[in-house]
Amino acid sequence: MAAAGSAKVALRVAEVLETIVSCCVGPEGRQVLCTKPTGEVLISRDGGCLLEALHLEHPIARMMVACVSSHLRKTGDGAKTFIIFLCHLLRGLHAVTDKEQDSLISKNIQTHRRHWKNCCQWKFISQALLKFQTQVLDYIMGHYLSKHFLSIFSSSTKERTLCRSSLELLLEAYFCGRVGRNNQNFISQLMCDYFFKCMACESGYEEVFELVDDYFIELNVGVTGLPVSDSRIIAGLVLHRDFSVYCPADGDIRIVIVTETIQPPFSTSGSEFILNSEAQFRTSQFWIMERTKAIMKHLQSQNVKLLLSSVKQPDLVIYYAGLNGISVVECLSSEEVSLIQRVVGLSPFVLPHTSSQYEICNTALMNFCKPLILRSKRYVHLGLIGTCSFIPHCIVLCAPVQGLVEQHKSALHGAFKMLRQLFKDLDLNYMIQASDQNYASSPLTYKNSRESTPLPEIVNGSRQSPYQGTVVKNKGKLATTQTYLKVYSNFVVPSIELETHIPRSIQKVTPTDTYQADETLRYLSLAKTRIVDDSEPLMESNSANSTTENTRIEISDENLQVTEIAGRGSMLPVREKSLEMCTSHGYCFSSIPAGCVLPVGGNFEFLLHYYLLNYAKKCHQSEETMVSVIIANALLGIPKILYKSKKGNYSFPQIYVRTLHAIQTHPPMVSSQTGLESVASKYQLLTSVLQCLTKILTIDLVINIKRQPQEVYDQDSEEEV
Amino acid sequence: MSRLEAKKPSFCKSEPLTSGRVRATLCVLKGILTSSYGPSGRLKQLHNGLGGCVCTTSQSSALLANLSVTHPILKILTTSMQNHVSCFSDCGLFTAILCCNLIENVQRIGLMPTTVIKLNKHLLSLCTSYLQSEFCGCRILVDFSSTQTLLCLVRSIVTSKPACMLTRQEIDHISALILRAFLLTIPENTKDCLILGKSIIVPLKGQRVTDSTVLPGILLEISEVQLMKILPIKKSDTFKVALFCASLSGDVSDTGEGTVVVSSGVSLENAVLDQLLSLGRQLVSDHIDLLICQKVVHPSLKQFLSMHRMIAIDRVGAALMEPLSKVTGTQPIGSLGSISPSSYGSVKDLCTEKFGFKHFLHLIPNEATICSLLLCNRNDTAWDELKLTCQTALHVLQLTIKEPSVLLGGGCTETHLAAYIRHKICNEPESILQDDGCTQTELQLLTEAFCSALESVAGSLEHDGGEILTDMKYGHFWSAQPESPSVVDWPDLLSRCGCGLYTSQEELRWSFLKSTRHPFAPQTCLPHEAVGSANNLTLDCFTAKLSGLQVAVETANLILDLSYIIEDKN
Repeated sequence: MAAAGSAKVALRVAEVLETIVSCCVGPEGRQVLCTKPTGEVLISRDGGCLLEALHLEHPIARMMVACVSSHLRKTGDGAKTFIIFLCHLLRGLHAVTDKEQDSLISKNIQTHRRHWKNCCQWKFISQALLKFQTQVLDYIMGHYLSKHFLSIFSSSTKERTLCRSSLELLLEAYFCGRVGRNNQNFISQLMCDYFFKCMACESGYEEVFELVDDYFIELNVGVTGLPVSDSRIIAGLVLHRDFSVYCPADGDIRIVIVTETIQPPFSTSGSEFILNSEAQFRTSQFWIMERTKAIMKHLQSQNVKLLLSSVKQPDLVIYYAGLNGISVVECLSSEEVSLIQRVVGLSPFVLPHTSSQYEICNTALMNFCKPLILRSKRYVHLGLIGTCSFIPHCIVLCAPVQGLVEQHKSALHGAFKMLRQLFKDLDLNYMIQASDQNYASSPLTYKNSRESTPLPEIVNGSRQSPYQGTVVKNKGKLATTQTYLKVYSNFVVPSIELETHIPRSIQKVTPTDTYQADETLRYLSLAKTRIVDDSEPLMESNSANSTTENTRIEISDENLQVTEIAGRGSMLPVREKSLEMCTSHGYCFSSIPAGCVLPVGGNFEFLLHYYLLNYAKKCHQSEETMVSVIIANALLGIPKILYKSKKGNYSFPQIYVRTLHAIQTHPPMVSSQTGLESVASKYQLLTSVLQCLTKILTIDLVINIKRQPQEVYDQDSEEEV
Repeated sequence: MSRLEAKKPSFCKSEPLTSGRVRATLCVLKGILTSSYGPSGRLKQLHNGLGGCVCTTSQSSALLANLSVTHPILKILTTSMQNHVSCFSDCGLFTAILCCNLIENVQRIGLMPTTVIKLNKHLLSLCTSYLQSEFCGCRILVDFSSTQTLLCLVRSIVTSKPACMLTRQEIDHISALILRAFLLTIPENTKDCLILGKSIIVPLKGQRVTDSTVLPGILLEISEVQLMKILPIKKSDTFKVALFCASLSGDVSDTGEGTVVVSSGVSLENAVLDQLLSLGRQLVSDHIDLLICQKVVHPSLKQFLSMHRMIAIDRVGAALMEPLSKVTGTQPIGSLGSISPSSYGSVKDLCTEKFGFKHFLHLIPNEATICSLLLCNRNDTAWDELKLTCQTALHVLQLTIKEPSVLLGGGCTETHLAAYIRHKICNEPESILQDDGCTQTELQLLTEAFCSALESVAGSLEHDGGEILTDMKYGHFWSAQPESPSVVDWPDLLSRCGCGLYTSQEELRWSFLKSTRHPFAPQTCLPHEAVGSANNLTLDCFTAKLSGLQVAVETANLILDLSYIIEDKN
């Protein structure tokens, strides 16, 4: 059985999913109850969770869900927006293809009519989409949108410090889409408190995110039957089990971790123990006992008060531990052990092999160790002293039902994932067509903000000498004889955008002129400008910050002159993008710097919509125009849903008109007290959706088979066998 | 290989609360719960039609645990209540009924869920801050210098469980016992933190309730055969006890992961038995009087010990180990080898006792916070209910120690709170209207729904068709006998309010609870002398009720917020 896999089918599927998902979007979204076959009841507003729970049958729907989950694995956010955006894109495409005969859109379309009409029309569109995604989107992001970005870091200091109020706004916006309406503020406050309590120093936030994300399950305790408002943060680490033996201790408390039983086993695996007499048996048992006793004595002499064990210890060990005043916690999970090891920097205690020799064992100090009772269940509460930039704290999550605890847990975990993503740079690279008039003129329009500083870059050394010892690693495009190099720096400053373009005279590089560029030609050299001056001068303005990936450039030229521009980098927390352009196709490398945010409420969508429309107007190729317009309009779908229930001044058309006006008149928008959202995750979402759409459009037939599809074996692996 | 089966698509349903089936089932559940509420609540008999025991109860914990609900919404509701009960033991029915009432009332007024949830949250915070405030008119601070308040609290709990089948005297007896058992678990001299002991409930079915008693220490049940073996216990100041958690059965213990090859003629069992007997000799030389083992003791060892006038009790079980180690003041011994003298414990006295048809060995500690509550009732189901009641009461007393206040019971807190909220919203609605952007009408509609939900919880206390009223001064709850004449002299017909704090002889005006009345400010700040003089109050646990109120509103909000249900039918 086969069915046509057209965009129409995909649209129908997407519309069904949209209706389900759209009820959970935004601050006004409602909850969905999912029951599992095991009888568990889950409460969720998480798009990914809902789509998984639906167990969809339709192949196209399954493909969409697969795309969504792969996107979620990467970013941990945006499943609902994904579906809505996809649906609107499909709708737009559908409308265009229906209308196409009327040729309302553009005259050029007429010439492409045969493309659109023939059987490969979807394929054609999908190619256009792919082209858009790889070329146009990054360009628009890096070029136009970037000046609207705000930063989560506070701009007052030189170093990147987290601004608490912006983090609060960011988290509030995140939780608006994740947890029930009555708990949004509470949970986001809890998360914010937790984060700042855990952070030992200002700069260690990346490590904290990483650690909390990795060990999230170990760092929280769920309690059911209590109101949500009883949730709290407690200092120290809570282990999800009780003491096997507890001896109250105070003062200097030391801990050890063991991963094997302390009592020596009668026989180890792989060996044979031959018993010849009853006396021998008794002696060996006596030896085992004495040895256990001796080890515990030794631990006591080291002032060890707590023994953490990843395995179950025999009664004998527990008994001697109790006699020596050592508390014991058994059966720790491997994650708990590795968390403790990471937090306090402690390696497991290796049992000495000969009875006489005891070396000083690995211990760590801690503040307290006591039982903690939550809802009549006993836990172990450890006051570990963190040695890294993470101060251990635990979140106690309370809710009337388990489903709600789970929801809050996954929302918190998602928030840490999101933050972890946010503090990474996201690279954009795009190619600029030489024909792009708009771009070529744009650098000139920007005001050079560094007018006051004399530009020390251009140093004319008239010496002419051949390049010697240069390693040539020509990357395809650079091999062209006529290479125009235009370099300009691009500064992104929190809240104000200074874009500085240093227009360079077009330089000629002789065919013999070779230089080595490592892969991408992104340079890292702090506040340095290298000017390579030759008869055909090649100039590179180069100043980067520490966050850009370090890529080497080796210019083995005697004439290389390096001019330090002191103070340039220190004036402002400058995040810089070096963009480079070649003759007809310039490769631009740019990035969305870490911590870039925009106010919520469809700001990103409005901005992108506006710039895409502008771009489309200047475009000459019909399909590019078409794709840009479709995407621009589909973007509006999200704010439309957000403002659906609002009336009067806050209705969608009003907001739309006002925002567009604001963009036109004064570009950098001033953020009011609204929430914030990460730009990088929005961008990633957009690319994921476009990729998914391309995938959908390239399918022309869905064939139903009775068997499982045969797995395609890897050719190489078979050869190896 | 396991069979792979394609997953069936899930079942997805929008706006679940609007469906008639859900409303009907919610209504049935509410009916079950309301009819069981309070001292005059009707009993429910739970059985499964295939035999097995029949459970007669009116307690939420037993009811909800045995009811099997299938609809996801009801499941959320019942699990939420069960979780509350397992945290606080008390106020389960209150929470469940309030939650049902809230859902029902809100649906009736048909406001947007967004507004409802926001406003409910505001009203809830009004309630909680009032209940915790100093001028709260329905909260009494517990005076620990007398047992009066605590006794009232326990008596209210026992009275509210009609399935225990107790008479008035029996209620008094049991209440006093529970309180005494609780007081025995409080250590005499504490430093900074109070660690409560434990009351162990010992079952004794088929006896009169008044035979129940409380004893300090632990009662270990022993069979008659064992009793015969125990020779008359000689008198001494202390008795030395060896408490073992290791098995003394003589089995060859864990030999590790490798193989053990035993030559012929070598018997490991003999070797272990030798070890056990040498342990016995050590115990004898250490003058141990009593050996208690969690697991099994080898018969030869038992024989050996009894020859040396030592009592050996085995198979005590893991549950009793902690109280036993507290009573004897020692850690359990986990070794069969040399035992350090410090690991022996002691008890003050040791005697055998007979209650009903059961024999017990009674361990009387020197100073410990463990006591045994020997609980008797006529039949199994009534005993089970009584046991649950005792556990509830003990738990409530613990909670009261932590948070030393109690609330007025008998429906008075609910009506008083409703009156307070009504008055507050009527007079100063600005605080809520400001930051929420909802209209005055919406607020009034929802306040009415919220307050009438509270009041109808109080109203569910009345099951005999009597009139339910509230007074216009304190906002307390009053119920009158049924078949009262239409025009009546209320002061004669009513005697005391629900909690028993006020009598009808005061100059009061009454109004029917169901009727609409003008919002009035109920009198806040309970006068001290009024509380002191009243000796038979009905009281509720403060912590449990406060948390129950919060949980009920939160659960109702959660259920009202649901827009879809996705049921996985695999």
